Amino acid sequence: MIDQIGTYSLSLAILTAGIGLLATIMAYRFESQRALGWARVWLLGNALLITAACGVLMTAIMQNDFANVYVASYSEIALPWGYKIASFWAGQAGSLLLWAWLLVAMTAVLIWQQRKLQGKEVAATLAIMAFVNSFFAAILLFAANPFTTQAIVPADGHGLNPMLQDPGMIAHPPTMFVGYAGFTIPFAMLIGALAAGRRDDLWIANTRRWLLFSWLFLTIGILLGAQWAYIELGWGGYWAWDPVENASLLPWLTGTALLHSIMVQQARHTFRFWNACLIAITFLRCIFGTYLTRSGVIQSVHTFPESSIGQFFLGFLAVCIIITVVMIIWRRDHLKAQQPLTGLCNREGALLLTNVLLLIITGATLVGTIYPLISDLFTGKTISVGPPFYNKVILPMALLLLTLMAIGPALQYGVSDARRVAKKLRLPVAIAVIALILALILGLREPWSMACVTISALAIANVFNDLITVWFRNIRASNGNAFAVLFRQFDDNHRRYGGQFVHLGMILIMIGVAGSSLFNEKTTAQLKRGEQTTFAGYTMLLQDLHEVRNANFTAVQAIVKLTNPDGSVRTLRPEVRFYDKSEQPNTHVALKSNLKRDLYVTLAGWEQDGDLVALQAIINPLVVWIWIGGIAMTLGALFSMLPKLLAHRTQDVPQTGSTVPLVTDA
Amino acid sequence: MNHLRSKFIVAGLIMTACLSYLVFAGVQGGWVYYVDVDDFTQGIEYHDQRVRLCGKVADEDVTVKPAQLSAVFPLLGNTTQVNVVYHGIVPDLFKPGSEVVVEGKLDEQGIFQATILLTKCASKYTGDHTERMEEKS
Repeated sequence: MIDQIGTYSLSLAILTAGIGLLATIMAYRFESQRALGWARVWLLGNALLITAACGVLMTAIMQNDFANVYVASYSEIALPWGYKIASFWAGQAGSLLLWAWLLVAMTAVLIWQQRKLQGKEVAATLAIMAFVNSFFAAILLFAANPFTTQAIVPADGHGLNPMLQDPGMIAHPPTMFVGYAGFTIPFAMLIGALAAGRRDDLWIANTRRWLLFSWLFLTIGILLGAQWAYIELGWGGYWAWDPVENASLLPWLTGTALLHSIMVQQARHTFRFWNACLIAITFLRCIFGTYLTRSGVIQSVHTFPESSIGQFFLGFLAVCIIITVVMIIWRRDHLKAQQPLTGLCNREGALLLTNVLLLIITGATLVGTIYPLISDLFTGKTISVGPPFYNKVILPMALLLLTLMAIGPALQYGVSDARRVAKKLRLPVAIAVIALILALILGLREPWSMACVTISALAIANVFNDLITVWFRNIRASNGNAFAVLFRQFDDNHRRYGGQFVHLGMILIMIGVAGSSLFNEKTTAQLKRGEQTTFAGYTMLLQDLHEVRNANFTAVQAIVKLTNPDGSVRTLRPEVRFYDKSEQPNTHVALKSNLKRDLYVTLAGWEQDGDLVALQAIINPLVVWIWIGGIAMTLGALFSMLPKLLAHRTQDVPQTGSTVPLVTDA
Repeated sequence: MNHLRSKFIVAGLIMTACLSYLVFAGVQGGWVYYVDVDDFTQGIEYHDQRVRLCGKVADEDVTVKPAQLSAVFPLLGNTTQVNVVYHGIVPDLFKPGSEVVVEGKLDEQGIFQATILLTKCASKYTGDHTERMEEKS
């Protein structure tokens, strides 16, 4: 009964989005305010209907409505309610419904943002949103309807995949989808600006906010996914270069490139064509990634049913590409740069290089991902490339990119003056050299890690060197309280310092990745009760192996007494869970984490009677810095989005008559 | 202006050259054939190198010794099969009849010595559990 309401909502949603699309086209064609007003009403109606559909699905899940095939497939009575929420997006149809809801919610926010605007640009922007929304409503109704019912109602559902029963999994998919959906808005704004024939760069400011917002969510989503894989999959890694992972990395890379090159467009009115292409590519990548991973063309450890979803996405992708190409060719004259590039030793030059490097990394990732398809096409043999390919190709590029990032703060817009840059870099480079020498003295010999040490020292020294130089200059100029000046310095340059904080986070992630991939150690031990093994200074004593019963699973748990290198003792409980509704066991890792290293212990197996137990232990140095770096990136991005706190107080601050404007380097 | 342009072109060429080399080296070092069991048994060229092999684990003759960290099983294609010995952590999802990907090399005895065993996480985005549930109810 309730499921029918869901299907009706979806049908009406297609109708409203379709009428909205027609109204926006009318509004564009005839510059009609009335049509635009109606378009807004219809699109808001569409948003309400999709929201209603989401409400229906959530109600069905919470009420254990197993007449609904989707609910029966992904939920069960005994599932804790937090995971019941997560089962909303555990399957194909539900995750697409979530995506569709995020799209209509963002459309509503966009309508509110632009409520006072009229004209062709708004109409064309909304037309794209209406088009995308109708596509998602259509795919939900015709290819992946979460409201399909079955005649024979099972007594209980199949339950959520045990691997998804993890707190990280509640948050990971929605965050990813916010990122994916969010990239649609910049695309719509681009088409809007092109359709309206804008020649200025003002529209890009609001676009940038949406981009940063989506990029932030994609960043958090990717890191949550990595952490989930680390904790849940039990192989001790967090990134496997799987096609589905790559599909999320591709828009992240182009989005990152875009955030950098948009700054140049705003400051120097150049890179217009480049940015237009990047905005479109980032959006198209999200759709392409979805096509790739859900159509079954690429073999992945994440399998998806071979459904008509793939064809829908492919068709949609083709239409979007045609729209983009036509619009960009039509308005190519408007996309010409006003100021040509003057050299490479200035900020715009460095940002251009950053973009090129990011695109090369993107290209290599894409080639690696679809290599099985390419090789099959040209040689008739399927060849897949694994992690060694990515490590060889992407690692040097990434280090080059991070070097550029480390130099960044020393560069300015405009004059390309190598000597001036060299002078600014003198101190940071000296610090980096000292750091390298220290690392050598401490016994570091691995070349990649030496490069990482140098780059991190350079980056950190350069950020602080720049910060402190400007701070001291400001103190001299204003005679104010040093901390008030520092606060003002941050507040006047949210973007600059937020960005640098993101960069520091990126450096921390690099340190974590380098430490955990270059210096990890692994061992397996077969132990009887009371036996112990020593590994990397840790002593592990197997005390017992027993069964534990929980809400919806039974676990076989090993009790391991761990003696740390410093002599302290604690108990580890690695376990294998057997969920009632799943045929597969699920490994649960025992993790002991600190700033220096993670000890990662899994229960690898046991003989039938539990006499002989196999444990696997992995030492992952510095891995926790990846998550700390992720938090730093999030905070940095949030800071740069924050509005200015002391916007109108310049005159009020009692600074004893100082009217000298604060010097900033931005 | 022309001087600058030539600088950009030179920089671009150098980068392209570096990239081509990297991709070439990467593909040389990182590629493996990805074949199914039938192609593997019929193609002699696959027998002396590391390959990635996909197939279905047989329903019978599967020996898993989790404490010894090994699994011995026949991997089935449509018409042929390969005997596989795998050493390492046996993944949670491994069981008779499941679809797996193994990576390794054929030894002199004609046994495929695998060092990587990947299972497909079958239920993540598949929605069709209805049959099994109908049987239960």
